Amino acid sequence: MNVLKVSRWTIAAFILPCLIVYVGLVFIPILVSLYSGLLDWNGIGQSTFVGFDNYVRMLTNDSVFWPSLRRTFTLAGFSMLVQVPVALLVAILITRFVRRPNFLVSSYFLPVILSVAIIGQLWKTIYNPASMGGMINGILTSIGLESWTHSWLTEPNVAIYAIILVSLWQYLGYHILIQFTGIQNIPDEIYEAAKIDGADGFKADRYITLPMVLPILKISIVLSFIGSLQSFDLIMVMTGGGPAHATEVLASHMYNMSFLTMKYGYGSAIANVLITICLITTVLINFLFNRVDKRYS
Amino acid sequence: MSQYASSAGSQPVVKVRSRRLSLKTILAFVLFGLLLLTQLYPLLWLLIYSLKTNEEILSGSFFSLPAQWQWNNYQGAIEGGSYFRYLGNSLFVTVTTMVGVILLSSLAAFAITRFRWKYGQLVMLLFLLGMMIPMQGTLLPLMIIFKNLNILNTHLALILPYMAFQMPIAVFILSGFLRTIPHEIEESAIMDGAGPFRIFRSVILPVSIPPMMTVCILTFINVWNEYILAATFISSEHLKTLPFGVYSFVSQYSVNYGSIGAFLVLAALPVIVVYFLLAEKITKGMVAGAVKG
Repeated sequence: MNVLKVSRWTIAAFILPCLIVYVGLVFIPILVSLYSGLLDWNGIGQSTFVGFDNYVRMLTNDSVFWPSLRRTFTLAGFSMLVQVPVALLVAILITRFVRRPNFLVSSYFLPVILSVAIIGQLWKTIYNPASMGGMINGILTSIGLESWTHSWLTEPNVAIYAIILVSLWQYLGYHILIQFTGIQNIPDEIYEAAKIDGADGFKADRYITLPMVLPILKISIVLSFIGSLQSFDLIMVMTGGGPAHATEVLASHMYNMSFLTMKYGYGSAIANVLITICLITTVLINFLFNRVDKRYS
Repeated sequence: MSQYASSAGSQPVVKVRSRRLSLKTILAFVLFGLLLLTQLYPLLWLLIYSLKTNEEILSGSFFSLPAQWQWNNYQGAIEGGSYFRYLGNSLFVTVTTMVGVILLSSLAAFAITRFRWKYGQLVMLLFLLGMMIPMQGTLLPLMIIFKNLNILNTHLALILPYMAFQMPIAVFILSGFLRTIPHEIEESAIMDGAGPFRIFRSVILPVSIPPMMTVCILTFINVWNEYILAATFISSEHLKTLPFGVYSFVSQYSVNYGSIGAFLVLAALPVIVVYFLLAEKITKGMVAGAVKG
């Protein structure tokens, strides 16, 4: 079906520049990382080959690894179970009630396009103690709920939820936008036909919007999952994993191990686990949705 | 209020009608308004915050407007934080990455979709695989590689990985588009004696502007905002990009609240301006990026 029959050199000239940059900066590093995960190495001096020691230590003798893995999944869970459903609800309501939806949707989307460096600092200021001009504590104090005030980012059992809230806040608009677009793409005739059959309003949503929007929902869920696995930039900006590792996720653990304690081998091992989890969950979510999809059609 | 209620009471028809029309609608709009407030108010708050004096900020009256607009906060931010240097660096890194991504990925996408060769699908698969790989996973090995290549702490150390990680989605979007172009177009070009480079330049490129815009937007948003790589690979003050610049400004001027606010506003400004100009294109591009990812 492809018409152009060209010499090997022409193909190479077209494809190689891209492929070299891509493979050289994505796959070669992963190979390097797979290898250095087997080393005991501080990045500068001699390295010793230790086999799977790093992995064994990570799984059995690392007091930060499991909690940070759990936190990673907590983040993903909040995103999938709170953010995505809320976004779907809002998207459905906007489609139903708003005649000119562009303003709303693009306003909700605004935080998405800002850098986490900015968002993180902004929310750090918002979370500040009232004596430093923090908004949340200030509001709580002024409506007489002084006992509710916290130093949000330095109390170990509150800090991670404070960060999760920011992450939910920032990306809510993204999910609203994606699902809103998905709903817009459902042909009107289906709703009209359903109306004749007596399905209207929320009934139509249950039996038409939901199944039709499923592929888009899948994208939203994959995005929120992958996003949560990767979203340590916010954590690095806001707390750096502290206080006392209370906001550490897998990626920040990897970062701190590598660049603060200079355990390059160990850091690589964590990075490899992270990549593996990413690959497995993406495939898994796709597989699950394919099954759900089949049941519906 | 009570007057309104009594007059409504004397006209029950109107009342019933308006209520039936609205209960759900009102609830929905309350929700919309609430969300609008939560999504935008923090940004507005930042703007007001950035125009206050330290005393006003610390006094805790956060709803109040500043008594006098403190534009010198902005002056402080620009002068103390070398804002324009960071801005220039961000611009340079982003634009170079964009050009590189567009150029290389469109060549590759063209080869994958239009040439008759065995490994096209394999290459495509390689790019698809790359979409699932998180950038942080390669942070450490890239650091080691760049150190050995002696390009750590240069802009190249940012541009190269940025390009590489934007390529999968770029190739995917572009080749998806190229598949929709009928083959007759280049058949006639071949008849006219055009070689593959010629076809690419004068037939394919001109029609591929819309998907290229999408790629540009995705690259812009992702690269402009990237923080971790910039903070890891760059240490020289004069090479920092804006997101990393924010971090260093904040840690340097940690008690000068108004200036921090001003710097944050300034840092957010370029993207917000671009967003106002291109809102629809950006949202469409981001959806395309998500859907195809």
